Amino acid sequence: MSSGDIKGFYRQKKKGGVAKPSTTSSSKKSNSAQTPALVSRTGVIDLKDEYGEEEEVLRQFDMDMKYGPCIGVDRLDRWERAAAMGLHPPPHVRDLLAAPAVVSVTAGTKLRCLWEGRV
Amino acid sequence: MADSEMGEAPLERKQAVYRNLDERFEIQGEKYKGQQYSHIYYVRLHQMRSLLQSFISKWKPHLPVNSVLGLEEGKECIIVGTLYKHMKLKPSVLDEYSKERSAIPLVKPHNFTSTDDHLILEDESGRVKLAGPMLTPLAFVTGIVVAIHGKETSKGDFFVEDFLDAGLPPQVDRPLDSREDKYVAFVSGLSVGSSAFNPLQFQLFVDHITGHLGDENEQRISSQIVRLVIAGNSMHIQQGYFSGQSVAPKDHAKLTEPIRELDIFLTQLVSALPVDIMPGCNDPANYNLPQQPLHRCLFSGASAYNTFTSCTNPHQFDLDNVQFIGTSGQNIDDLYKYSDAKDRIEFMERTLRWRHLAPTAPNTLGCYPYTDKDPFLIESCPHVYFVGNQEKYETRLLQGPDKQSVRLISIPRFCETGVAVMLNLRNLECHALTFSTNL
Repeated sequence: MSSGDIKGFYRQKKKGGVAKPSTTSSSKKSNSAQTPALVSRTGVIDLKDEYGEEEEVLRQFDMDMKYGPCIGVDRLDRWERAAAMGLHPPPHVRDLLAAPAVVSVTAGTKLRCLWEGRV
Repeated sequence: MADSEMGEAPLERKQAVYRNLDERFEIQGEKYKGQQYSHIYYVRLHQMRSLLQSFISKWKPHLPVNSVLGLEEGKECIIVGTLYKHMKLKPSVLDEYSKERSAIPLVKPHNFTSTDDHLILEDESGRVKLAGPMLTPLAFVTGIVVAIHGKETSKGDFFVEDFLDAGLPPQVDRPLDSREDKYVAFVSGLSVGSSAFNPLQFQLFVDHITGHLGDENEQRISSQIVRLVIAGNSMHIQQGYFSGQSVAPKDHAKLTEPIRELDIFLTQLVSALPVDIMPGCNDPANYNLPQQPLHRCLFSGASAYNTFTSCTNPHQFDLDNVQFIGTSGQNIDDLYKYSDAKDRIEFMERTLRWRHLAPTAPNTLGCYPYTDKDPFLIESCPHVYFVGNQEKYETRLLQGPDKQSVRLISIPRFCETGVAVMLNLRNLECHALTFSTNL
Protein backbone atom coordinates (compact mmCIF):
# COMPACT_ATOMS: atom_id res chain seq x y z
CA MET A 1 0.00 0.00 0.00
CA SER A 2 1.52 3.34 -0.97
CA SER A 3 2.21 5.29 2.20
CA GLY A 4 2.03 8.57 0.34
CA ASP A 5 -1.73 8.21 0.35
CA ILE A 6 -2.05 8.53 4.10
CA LYS A 7 -3.19 12.13 3.72
CA GLY A 8 -6.01 11.05 1.51
CA PHE A 9 -7.07 8.41 3.96
CA TYR A 10 -6.96 10.42 7.17
CA ARG A 11 -8.56 13.55 5.88
CA GLN A 12 -7.24 16.80 7.30
CA LYS A 13 -10.48 18.67 6.81
CA LYS A 14 -14.03 17.61 6.16
CA LYS A 15 -14.83 17.36 2.51
CA GLY A 16 -17.59 19.43 0.96
CA GLY A 17 -21.05 18.23 0.06
CA VAL A 18 -20.22 17.40 -3.54
CA ALA A 19 -18.31 14.24 -4.18
CA LYS A 20 -15.13 15.18 -5.95
CA PRO A 21 -14.13 13.11 -8.99
CA SER A 22 -11.57 10.61 -7.81
CA THR A 23 -8.17 9.93 -9.31
CA THR A 24 -6.95 6.40 -9.69
CA SER A 25 -4.92 5.73 -6.60
CA SER A 26 -5.27 8.45 -4.03
CA SER A 27 -8.71 8.45 -2.57
CA LYS A 28 -10.23 5.13 -3.45
CA LYS A 29 -9.41 3.46 -0.18
CA SER A 30 -12.13 1.13 0.91
CA ASN A 31 -13.97 2.75 3.77
CA SER A 32 -16.84 0.34 3.79
CA ALA A 33 -15.84 -1.07 7.17
CA GLN A 34 -15.10 1.93 9.32
CA THR A 35 -13.32 0.96 12.50
CA PRO A 36 -14.73 2.51 15.68
CA ALA A 37 -11.40 4.28 16.26
CA LEU A 38 -11.66 6.11 12.96
CA VAL A 39 -15.22 7.14 13.57
CA SER A 40 -14.40 8.69 16.89
CA ARG A 41 -11.38 10.46 15.40
CA THR A 42 -13.13 12.26 12.60
CA GLY A 43 -16.43 12.47 14.41
CA VAL A 44 -18.48 11.60 11.39
CA ILE A 45 -19.13 8.32 9.60
CA ASP A 46 -18.19 8.70 5.98
CA LEU A 47 -21.31 7.49 4.29
CA LYS A 48 -20.83 9.05 0.91
CA ASP A 49 -17.47 7.89 -0.33
CA GLU A 50 -15.85 8.75 -3.58
CA TYR A 51 -16.68 5.47 -5.09
CA GLY A 52 -20.24 4.72 -5.94
CA GLU A 53 -22.41 1.71 -5.54
CA GLU A 54 -21.22 0.47 -8.90
CA GLU A 55 -17.67 0.26 -7.70
CA GLU A 56 -18.81 -1.51 -4.54
CA VAL A 57 -20.38 -4.27 -6.61
CA LEU A 58 -17.20 -4.56 -8.64
CA ARG A 59 -15.10 -4.74 -5.50
CA GLN A 60 -17.23 -7.53 -4.14
CA PHE A 61 -16.62 -9.35 -7.41
CA ASP A 62 -12.88 -8.76 -6.95
CA MET A 63 -12.90 -10.14 -3.44
CA ASP A 64 -14.89 -13.26 -4.23
CA MET A 65 -12.48 -16.14 -3.78
CA LYS A 66 -14.46 -18.43 -6.01
CA TYR A 67 -13.25 -16.68 -9.15
CA GLY A 68 -9.61 -16.78 -8.26
CA PRO A 69 -7.06 -14.07 -7.57
CA CYS A 70 -7.93 -10.60 -8.79
CA ILE A 71 -4.49 -8.94 -8.96
CA GLY A 72 -2.83 -8.84 -12.33
CA VAL A 73 -5.86 -9.40 -14.53
CA ASP A 74 -8.39 -6.90 -15.79
CA ARG A 75 -11.84 -7.31 -14.24
CA LEU A 76 -13.36 -8.06 -17.61
CA ASP A 77 -10.76 -10.75 -18.33
CA ARG A 78 -11.39 -12.26 -14.93
CA TRP A 79 -15.12 -12.31 -15.57
CA GLU A 80 -14.57 -13.94 -18.97
CA ARG A 81 -12.27 -16.49 -17.41
CA ALA A 82 -14.82 -17.33 -14.73
CA ALA A 83 -17.50 -17.71 -17.38
CA ALA A 84 -15.27 -19.97 -19.49
CA MET A 85 -14.58 -22.15 -16.46
CA GLY A 86 -18.28 -22.63 -15.89
CA LEU A 87 -18.47 -20.73 -12.62
CA HIS A 88 -21.50 -18.63 -13.66
CA PRO A 89 -20.30 -15.20 -12.56
CA PRO A 90 -23.12 -12.69 -12.04
CA PRO A 91 -24.15 -11.17 -15.38
CA HIS A 92 -24.82 -7.72 -13.92
CA VAL A 93 -21.11 -7.38 -13.16
CA ARG A 94 -20.42 -7.98 -16.83
CA ASP A 95 -22.91 -5.28 -17.77
CA LEU A 96 -21.23 -2.82 -15.42
CA LEU A 97 -17.87 -3.55 -16.99
CA ALA A 98 -19.05 -3.42 -20.55
CA ALA A 99 -21.09 -0.23 -20.24
CA PRO A 100 -19.24 2.98 -21.12
CA ALA A 101 -18.36 5.01 -18.05
CA VAL A 102 -20.33 8.15 -17.33
CA VAL A 103 -17.54 10.03 -15.59
CA SER A 104 -14.55 10.18 -17.90
CA VAL A 105 -11.96 10.28 -15.14
CA THR A 106 -13.01 6.95 -13.77
CA ALA A 107 -13.41 5.46 -17.24
CA GLY A 108 -10.34 3.28 -17.23
CA THR A 109 -10.22 2.67 -13.53
CA LYS A 110 -13.22 0.42 -13.08
CA LEU A 111 -11.66 -2.12 -15.40
CA ARG A 112 -8.78 -2.61 -13.07
CA CYS A 113 -9.11 -4.45 -9.83
CA LEU A 114 -9.18 -3.03 -6.34
CA TRP A 115 -5.50 -3.54 -5.66
CA GLU A 116 -4.21 -2.24 -9.00
CA GLY A 117 -1.29 0.10 -8.52
CA ARG A 118 -1.36 -0.28 -4.74
CA VAL A 119 0.29 -3.62 -4.15
CA MET B 1 15.94 -39.82 -50.51
CA ALA B 2 15.67 -42.65 -52.96
CA ASP B 3 18.56 -44.77 -53.94
CA SER B 4 18.53 -46.73 -57.12
CA GLU B 5 20.29 -49.85 -58.21
CA MET B 6 20.87 -50.49 -61.86
CA GLY B 7 17.58 -51.55 -63.40
CA GLU B 8 15.71 -51.86 -60.08
CA ALA B 9 12.97 -49.57 -58.81
CA PRO B 10 14.22 -47.04 -56.26
CA LEU B 11 13.27 -47.54 -52.63
CA GLU B 12 10.71 -45.02 -51.53
CA ARG B 13 10.53 -43.63 -48.05
CA LYS B 14 7.34 -44.36 -46.20
CA GLN B 15 5.08 -41.48 -45.24
CA ALA B 16 2.82 -40.89 -42.28
CA VAL B 17 0.09 -38.33 -41.74
CA TYR B 18 1.40 -35.68 -39.36
CA ARG B 19 -0.59 -33.25 -37.28
CA ASN B 20 1.22 -30.65 -35.23
CA LEU B 21 -0.61 -29.87 -31.98
CA ASP B 22 1.81 -27.29 -30.57
CA GLU B 23 -0.68 -24.45 -30.70
CA ARG B 24 -1.49 -24.71 -27.00
CA PHE B 25 2.18 -24.11 -26.16
CA GLU B 26 2.63 -21.03 -28.30
CA ILE B 27 2.63 -17.71 -26.48
CA GLN B 28 2.36 -15.22 -29.33
CA GLY B 29 -1.22 -14.48 -28.40
CA GLU B 30 -0.49 -13.92 -24.72
CA LYS B 31 -0.24 -10.39 -23.41
CA TYR B 32 1.73 -9.91 -20.22
CA LYS B 33 0.00 -7.50 -17.91
CA GLY B 34 2.28 -7.74 -14.90
CA GLN B 35 0.53 -10.71 -13.37
CA GLN B 36 2.20 -13.17 -11.06
CA TYR B 37 1.81 -16.91 -10.76
CA SER B 38 -1.28 -17.06 -8.59
CA HIS B 39 -3.48 -17.39 -11.65
CA ILE B 40 -1.83 -20.44 -13.11
CA TYR B 41 -2.09 -22.17 -9.75
CA TYR B 42 -5.73 -21.17 -9.49
CA VAL B 43 -6.57 -22.57 -12.91
CA ARG B 44 -4.64 -25.75 -12.16
CA LEU B 45 -6.40 -26.24 -8.84
CA HIS B 46 -9.81 -25.54 -10.30
CA GLN B 47 -9.45 -27.91 -13.24
CA MET B 48 -7.89 -30.73 -11.27
CA ARG B 49 -10.33 -30.30 -8.40
CA SER B 50 -13.37 -30.64 -10.66
CA LEU B 51 -11.77 -33.77 -12.03
CA LEU B 52 -10.99 -35.20 -8.61
CA GLN B 53 -14.50 -34.43 -7.35
CA SER B 54 -15.87 -36.83 -9.92
CA PHE B 55 -13.49 -39.53 -8.71
CA ILE B 56 -14.10 -38.97 -5.01
CA SER B 57 -17.72 -40.00 -5.38
CA LYS B 58 -16.47 -43.43 -6.46
CA TRP B 59 -13.51 -43.57 -4.12
CA LYS B 60 -15.04 -42.73 -0.73
CA PRO B 61 -18.55 -41.47 -1.30
CA HIS B 62 -19.52 -41.51 2.36
CA LEU B 63 -17.03 -38.86 3.41
CA PRO B 64 -17.67 -35.12 3.14
CA VAL B 65 -15.34 -32.90 1.12
CA ASN B 66 -14.21 -29.87 3.09
CA SER B 67 -12.21 -26.79 2.35
CA VAL B 68 -9.10 -26.32 4.47
CA LEU B 69 -10.70 -23.56 6.48
CA GLY B 70 -13.72 -25.72 7.16
CA LEU B 71 -11.76 -28.47 8.91
CA GLU B 72 -12.99 -29.60 12.27
CA GLU B 73 -10.77 -31.38 14.72
CA GLY B 74 -11.23 -35.12 14.80
CA LYS B 75 -13.76 -35.18 11.99
CA GLU B 76 -12.87 -37.52 9.17
CA CYS B 77 -13.16 -35.87 5.78
CA ILE B 78 -11.55 -35.35 2.41
CA ILE B 79 -9.68 -32.24 1.37
CA VAL B 80 -8.56 -31.35 -2.14
CA GLY B 81 -5.76 -28.94 -2.82
CA THR B 82 -2.30 -28.26 -4.18
CA LEU B 83 0.64 -29.86 -2.46
CA TYR B 84 3.52 -27.75 -1.30
CA LYS B 85 6.68 -29.48 -0.17
CA HIS B 86 8.68 -27.60 2.36
CA MET B 87 12.34 -28.41 1.76
CA LYS B 88 15.06 -27.04 3.97
CA LEU B 89 17.77 -27.68 1.40
CA LYS B 90 15.93 -25.96 -1.43
CA PRO B 91 18.03 -23.03 -2.59
CA SER B 92 16.37 -19.75 -1.86
CA VAL B 93 17.41 -16.46 -3.36
CA LEU B 94 17.05 -14.94 0.09
CA ASP B 95 19.92 -17.02 1.40
CA GLU B 96 22.30 -14.63 -0.29
CA TYR B 97 21.03 -11.84 1.92
CA SER B 98 20.95 -13.68 5.23
CA LYS B 99 23.37 -12.25 7.76
CA GLU B 100 24.52 -15.55 9.17
CA ARG B 101 25.98 -18.19 6.98
CA SER B 102 24.33 -21.34 8.24
CA ALA B 103 25.67 -24.85 8.03
CA ILE B 104 24.08 -25.32 4.61
CA PRO B 105 26.98 -25.56 2.15
CA LEU B 106 27.28 -22.94 -0.56
CA VAL B 107 27.84 -25.60 -3.16
CA LYS B 108 24.36 -27.00 -3.37
CA PRO B 109 23.92 -30.72 -3.80
CA HIS B 110 22.26 -31.82 -6.96
CA ASN B 111 19.34 -33.33 -5.19
CA PHE B 112 17.64 -31.14 -2.61
CA THR B 113 15.60 -33.72 -0.74
CA SER B 114 16.16 -34.29 2.94
CA THR B 115 14.50 -36.36 5.61
CA ASP B 116 13.11 -33.17 7.15
CA ASP B 117 10.88 -32.35 4.19
CA HIS B 118 7.20 -32.14 4.92
CA LEU B 119 4.10 -31.65 2.83
CA ILE B 120 1.46 -28.98 3.10
CA LEU B 121 -1.89 -28.97 1.36
CA GLU B 122 -3.22 -25.65 0.16
CA ASP B 123 -6.47 -24.46 -1.35
CA GLU B 124 -8.01 -21.00 -1.72
CA SER B 125 -9.01 -20.81 1.89
CA GLY B 126 -5.82 -21.87 3.61
CA ARG B 127 -3.12 -24.43 4.12
CA VAL B 128 -2.61 -27.32 6.47
CA LYS B 129 0.41 -29.43 7.26
CA LEU B 130 0.10 -33.09 6.37
CA ALA B 131 1.24 -35.62 8.91
CA GLY B 132 1.24 -39.35 9.21
CA PRO B 133 3.16 -42.27 7.75
CA MET B 134 0.96 -42.72 4.67
CA LEU B 135 2.53 -39.96 2.63
CA THR B 136 6.26 -40.02 2.05
CA PRO B 137 7.35 -36.54 0.98
CA LEU B 138 10.16 -38.08 -1.05
CA ALA B 139 7.83 -39.12 -3.83
CA PHE B 140 5.95 -35.83 -4.10
CA VAL B 141 6.70 -32.35 -5.36
CA THR B 142 5.14 -28.93 -5.03
CA GLY B 143 2.41 -28.23 -7.51
CA ILE B 144 0.41 -31.44 -7.81
CA VAL B 145 -3.26 -31.50 -6.95
CA VAL B 146 -4.45 -34.42 -4.85
CA ALA B 147 -7.36 -35.43 -2.64
CA ILE B 148 -6.47 -36.45 0.91
CA HIS B 149 -8.59 -38.45 3.30
CA GLY B 150 -7.87 -37.98 6.95
CA LYS B 151 -8.68 -35.87 9.95
CA GLU B 152 -7.38 -32.83 11.72
CA THR B 153 -5.33 -33.51 14.85
CA SER B 154 -5.19 -31.47 18.02
CA LYS B 155 -1.84 -30.04 16.92
CA GLY B 156 -3.47 -28.50 13.87
CA ASP B 157 -1.96 -30.97 11.40
CA PHE B 158 -3.98 -33.10 9.08
CA PHE B 159 -3.36 -36.78 9.72
CA VAL B 160 -3.40 -38.58 6.38
CA GLU B 161 -5.16 -41.92 6.09
CA ASP B 162 -5.32 -42.19 2.32
CA PHE B 163 -4.75 -40.10 -0.77
CA LEU B 164 -5.98 -40.02 -4.32
CA ASP B 165 -4.34 -38.62 -7.42
CA ALA B 166 -6.04 -38.22 -10.74
CA GLY B 167 -4.46 -41.26 -12.36
CA LEU B 168 -3.81 -41.77 -16.04
CA PRO B 169 -6.12 -39.73 -18.26
CA PRO B 170 -8.41 -41.50 -20.73
CA GLN B 171 -6.80 -42.50 -23.99
CA VAL B 172 -8.11 -42.44 -27.51
CA ASP B 173 -7.73 -45.85 -29.13
CA ARG B 174 -4.72 -46.29 -31.28
CA PRO B 175 -5.39 -47.47 -34.83
CA LEU B 176 -4.45 -51.14 -34.83
CA ASP B 177 -4.97 -51.94 -38.48
CA SER B 178 -1.59 -50.92 -39.87
CA ARG B 179 0.30 -53.79 -41.35
CA GLU B 180 3.50 -52.11 -42.34
CA ASP B 181 6.35 -51.10 -40.06
CA LYS B 182 6.89 -47.38 -39.85
CA TYR B 183 9.55 -45.98 -37.59
CA VAL B 184 10.03 -42.69 -35.81
CA ALA B 185 13.59 -41.84 -34.86
CA PHE B 186 14.40 -39.83 -31.74
CA VAL B 187 17.65 -38.17 -30.87
CA SER B 188 18.59 -35.46 -28.39
CA GLY B 189 21.56 -33.71 -26.84
CA LEU B 190 23.56 -33.38 -30.05
CA SER B 191 25.44 -30.41 -28.56
CA VAL B 192 26.97 -29.30 -31.85
CA GLY B 193 29.75 -26.90 -30.95
CA SER B 194 30.69 -28.45 -27.63
CA SER B 195 33.86 -30.36 -27.02
CA ALA B 196 31.86 -33.55 -26.52
CA PHE B 197 30.44 -33.39 -30.02
CA ASN B 198 31.90 -35.94 -32.44
CA PRO B 199 31.10 -34.87 -36.01
CA LEU B 200 31.93 -38.25 -37.47
CA GLN B 201 29.57 -39.99 -35.10
CA PHE B 202 26.72 -37.65 -35.96
CA GLN B 203 27.51 -37.89 -39.66
CA LEU B 204 27.19 -41.66 -39.38
CA PHE B 205 23.77 -41.14 -37.86
CA VAL B 206 22.72 -38.71 -40.60
CA ASP B 207 23.94 -41.06 -43.31
CA HIS B 208 22.12 -44.00 -41.82
CA ILE B 209 18.83 -42.15 -41.44
CA THR B 210 18.98 -40.69 -44.93
CA GLY B 211 19.83 -44.04 -46.46
CA HIS B 212 23.31 -43.22 -47.70
CA LEU B 213 24.87 -45.95 -45.67
CA GLY B 214 24.84 -49.66 -46.01
CA ASP B 215 23.51 -52.15 -48.50
CA GLU B 216 19.99 -52.56 -49.75
CA ASN B 217 18.75 -54.24 -46.61
CA GLU B 218 19.92 -51.44 -44.44
CA GLN B 219 18.51 -48.90 -46.84
CA ARG B 220 15.19 -50.65 -46.65
CA ILE B 221 15.21 -50.20 -42.91
CA SER B 222 16.04 -46.52 -43.34
CA SER B 223 13.23 -46.07 -45.86
CA GLN B 224 10.79 -47.07 -43.14
CA ILE B 225 11.71 -44.12 -40.97
CA VAL B 226 8.92 -41.60 -41.45
CA ARG B 227 10.07 -38.85 -39.12
CA LEU B 228 13.00 -37.70 -37.00
CA VAL B 229 12.40 -35.84 -33.74
CA ILE B 230 15.33 -33.93 -32.26
CA ALA B 231 14.47 -33.43 -28.62
CA GLY B 232 16.50 -30.43 -27.56
CA ASN B 233 20.05 -29.25 -26.88
CA SER B 234 21.10 -29.51 -30.48
CA MET B 235 23.74 -26.84 -30.13
CA HIS B 236 26.12 -25.67 -27.51
CA ILE B 237 27.46 -22.14 -27.40
CA GLN B 238 30.09 -21.43 -24.80
CA GLN B 239 28.57 -19.88 -21.69
CA GLY B 240 31.24 -17.20 -21.58
CA TYR B 241 29.63 -15.41 -24.50
CA PHE B 242 26.37 -15.00 -22.60
CA SER B 243 27.82 -12.90 -19.82
CA GLY B 244 26.42 -9.71 -21.31
CA GLN B 245 29.74 -8.24 -22.31
CA SER B 246 30.20 -7.39 -25.92
CA VAL B 247 31.85 -10.05 -28.04
CA ALA B 248 35.01 -9.12 -29.92
CA PRO B 249 34.68 -9.34 -33.72
CA LYS B 250 37.18 -12.14 -33.90
CA ASP B 251 34.97 -14.14 -31.54
CA HIS B 252 31.79 -13.57 -33.48
CA ALA B 253 32.46 -16.71 -35.43
CA LYS B 254 32.45 -18.74 -32.21
CA LEU B 255 28.87 -17.66 -31.62
CA THR B 256 27.60 -18.64 -35.02
CA GLU B 257 29.84 -21.64 -35.75
CA PRO B 258 27.74 -24.19 -33.85
CA ILE B 259 24.51 -22.95 -35.41
CA ARG B 260 25.97 -23.05 -38.90
CA GLU B 261 27.37 -26.52 -38.39
CA LEU B 262 24.04 -27.75 -37.11
CA ASP B 263 22.29 -26.20 -40.08
CA ILE B 264 24.54 -28.11 -42.48
CA PHE B 265 23.66 -31.40 -40.82
CA LEU B 266 19.99 -30.48 -40.64
CA THR B 267 19.86 -29.62 -44.32
CA GLN B 268 21.11 -33.11 -45.12
CA LEU B 269 18.43 -34.55 -42.88
CA VAL B 270 15.48 -32.45 -44.07
CA SER B 271 16.28 -33.15 -47.67
CA ALA B 272 15.61 -36.80 -46.91
CA LEU B 273 12.79 -36.95 -44.37
CA PRO B 274 10.57 -34.74 -42.19
CA VAL B 275 12.35 -33.46 -39.11
CA ASP B 276 10.94 -31.89 -35.94
CA ILE B 277 13.43 -29.89 -33.90
CA MET B 278 12.64 -28.87 -30.35
CA PRO B 279 14.50 -26.31 -28.22
CA GLY B 280 16.28 -27.45 -25.06
CA CYS B 281 17.81 -25.71 -22.07
CA ASN B 282 21.06 -24.96 -23.94
CA ASP B 283 19.49 -23.80 -27.18
CA PRO B 284 18.96 -20.15 -28.17
CA ALA B 285 15.33 -20.09 -27.13
CA ASN B 286 13.51 -18.57 -24.18
CA TYR B 287 14.22 -19.97 -20.75
CA ASN B 288 10.66 -20.30 -19.45
CA LEU B 289 8.50 -23.21 -20.39
CA PRO B 290 6.85 -23.60 -22.83
CA GLN B 291 9.92 -22.85 -24.90
CA GLN B 292 9.02 -21.30 -28.20
CA PRO B 293 10.17 -22.79 -31.51
CA LEU B 294 13.71 -22.01 -32.60
CA HIS B 295 13.61 -19.23 -35.12
CA ARG B 296 13.81 -20.12 -38.79
CA CYS B 297 16.50 -17.55 -39.41
CA LEU B 298 18.92 -19.73 -37.43
CA PHE B 299 18.56 -22.43 -40.04
CA SER B 300 18.96 -20.66 -43.34
CA GLY B 301 19.62 -23.90 -45.14
CA ALA B 302 17.19 -26.27 -43.52
CA SER B 303 14.23 -23.89 -43.24
CA ALA B 304 13.97 -23.72 -47.00
CA TYR B 305 12.55 -27.25 -46.96
CA ASN B 306 8.94 -27.91 -46.07
CA THR B 307 10.03 -31.02 -44.22
CA PHE B 308 11.62 -28.83 -41.57
CA THR B 309 9.40 -28.13 -38.58
CA SER B 310 10.56 -26.04 -35.65
CA CYS B 311 8.55 -27.04 -32.58
CA THR B 312 7.85 -25.90 -29.07
CA ASN B 313 9.04 -27.62 -25.94
CA PRO B 314 6.87 -29.48 -24.83
CA HIS B 315 5.97 -30.85 -28.22
CA GLN B 316 2.71 -32.54 -29.05
CA PHE B 317 1.78 -34.12 -32.35
CA ASP B 318 0.21 -37.16 -33.87
CA LEU B 319 1.44 -39.40 -36.65
CA ASP B 320 -1.10 -41.67 -38.31
CA ASN B 321 -3.33 -40.98 -35.29
CA VAL B 322 -0.75 -42.19 -32.79
CA GLN B 323 -0.55 -39.46 -30.11
CA PHE B 324 2.88 -38.23 -29.10
CA ILE B 325 3.92 -35.84 -26.42
CA GLY B 326 7.44 -35.08 -25.27
CA THR B 327 9.83 -32.62 -23.73
CA SER B 328 13.51 -31.83 -23.90
CA GLY B 329 14.02 -33.02 -20.35
CA GLN B 330 13.63 -29.96 -18.12
CA ASN B 331 10.47 -31.26 -16.45
CA ILE B 332 11.97 -34.61 -15.48
CA ASP B 333 15.32 -33.12 -14.50
CA ASP B 334 13.51 -30.79 -12.13
CA LEU B 335 11.58 -33.69 -10.62
CA TYR B 336 14.87 -35.45 -10.08
CA LYS B 337 16.16 -32.48 -8.09
CA TYR B 338 13.19 -32.28 -5.77
CA SER B 339 12.03 -35.84 -5.33
CA ASP B 340 13.26 -39.39 -5.62
CA ALA B 341 12.35 -42.38 -7.75
CA LYS B 342 14.07 -45.55 -8.80
CA ASP B 343 14.62 -44.34 -12.37
CA ARG B 344 13.73 -41.53 -14.76
CA ILE B 345 10.94 -43.57 -16.26
CA GLU B 346 9.24 -43.59 -12.89
CA PHE B 347 9.25 -39.79 -12.86
CA MET B 348 7.59 -39.88 -16.26
CA GLU B 349 4.97 -42.29 -14.97
CA ARG B 350 4.26 -39.99 -12.07
CA THR B 351 3.73 -36.97 -14.31
CA LEU B 352 1.15 -38.98 -16.21
CA ARG B 353 -0.60 -40.08 -13.04
CA TRP B 354 -0.65 -36.53 -11.79
CA ARG B 355 -1.87 -35.48 -15.24
CA HIS B 356 0.64 -32.66 -15.38
CA LEU B 357 3.75 -32.46 -17.56
CA ALA B 358 5.68 -30.13 -15.32
CA PRO B 359 4.18 -29.93 -11.82
CA THR B 360 7.16 -28.08 -10.38
CA ALA B 361 6.50 -25.19 -12.76
CA PRO B 362 6.35 -22.36 -11.78
CA ASN B 363 7.78 -23.16 -8.35
CA THR B 364 11.26 -24.27 -9.33
CA LEU B 365 10.95 -24.52 -13.10
CA GLY B 366 10.55 -21.36 -15.14
CA CYS B 367 7.15 -20.98 -16.71
CA TYR B 368 5.04 -18.27 -18.35
CA PRO B 369 2.50 -16.72 -15.96
CA TYR B 370 -0.67 -17.74 -17.74
CA THR B 371 -3.87 -16.20 -16.45
CA ASP B 372 -6.55 -18.35 -17.95
CA LYS B 373 -5.09 -21.76 -18.63
CA ASP B 374 -2.43 -24.25 -17.63
CA PRO B 375 -1.21 -25.81 -20.88
CA PHE B 376 0.81 -28.51 -19.12
CA LEU B 377 -2.27 -30.34 -17.89
CA ILE B 378 -2.58 -33.62 -19.72
CA GLU B 379 -6.17 -34.15 -20.75
CA SER B 380 -5.82 -37.14 -22.97
CA CYS B 381 -3.27 -39.88 -22.46
CA PRO B 382 -0.68 -40.03 -25.24
CA HIS B 383 0.42 -43.26 -26.85
CA VAL B 384 4.05 -42.24 -26.76
CA TYR B 385 5.65 -40.02 -24.13
CA PHE B 386 9.30 -39.13 -24.68
CA VAL B 387 11.80 -37.10 -22.72
CA GLY B 388 15.14 -35.98 -24.12
CA ASN B 389 18.59 -35.28 -22.72
CA GLN B 390 18.62 -38.04 -20.16
CA GLU B 391 21.49 -40.11 -18.85
CA LYS B 392 20.67 -43.33 -20.60
CA TYR B 393 18.21 -45.00 -22.91
CA GLU B 394 15.29 -46.51 -21.03
CA THR B 395 11.85 -47.51 -22.09
CA ARG B 396 8.76 -49.06 -20.60
CA LEU B 397 5.24 -49.79 -21.73
CA LEU B 398 2.93 -48.42 -19.08
CA GLN B 399 -0.47 -50.05 -18.78
CA GLY B 400 -3.27 -48.06 -17.23
CA PRO B 401 -6.38 -49.24 -15.39
CA ASP B 402 -8.63 -48.11 -18.24
CA LYS B 403 -6.83 -50.03 -20.99
CA GLN B 404 -4.43 -47.16 -21.57
CA SER B 405 -1.11 -48.19 -22.99
CA VAL B 406 1.74 -45.68 -23.13
CA ARG B 407 5.23 -46.18 -24.45
CA LEU B 408 7.58 -44.19 -22.18
CA ILE B 409 10.94 -43.33 -23.73
CA SER B 410 13.95 -41.74 -22.10
CA ILE B 411 16.23 -40.49 -24.87
CA PRO B 412 19.92 -40.25 -23.93
CA ARG B 413 22.25 -37.44 -24.87
CA PHE B 414 23.74 -38.32 -28.23
CA CYS B 415 27.02 -36.48 -27.70
CA GLU B 416 27.76 -38.66 -24.67
CA THR B 417 26.29 -42.00 -25.63
CA GLY B 418 25.94 -42.11 -29.42
CA VAL B 419 22.52 -43.65 -28.93
CA ALA B 420 19.37 -42.76 -30.85
CA VAL B 421 15.97 -44.38 -30.40
CA MET B 422 13.72 -45.98 -32.98
CA LEU B 423 10.04 -46.50 -32.34
CA ASN B 424 7.84 -48.74 -34.45
CA LEU B 425 4.46 -47.08 -34.98
CA ARG B 426 2.75 -50.36 -35.67
CA ASN B 427 3.31 -51.98 -32.28
CA LEU B 428 4.99 -49.21 -30.23
CA GLU B 429 8.12 -51.29 -29.83
CA CYS B 430 11.31 -49.47 -29.24
CA HIS B 431 14.94 -50.19 -29.89
CA ALA B 432 18.20 -48.28 -29.70
CA LEU B 433 20.57 -47.36 -32.49
CA THR B 434 24.14 -47.02 -31.33
CA PHE B 435 26.76 -45.22 -33.38
CA SER B 436 30.38 -45.52 -32.51
CA THR B 437 33.53 -44.27 -34.12
CA ASN B 438 35.88 -46.30 -31.98
CA LEU B 439 37.71 -48.64 -34.25
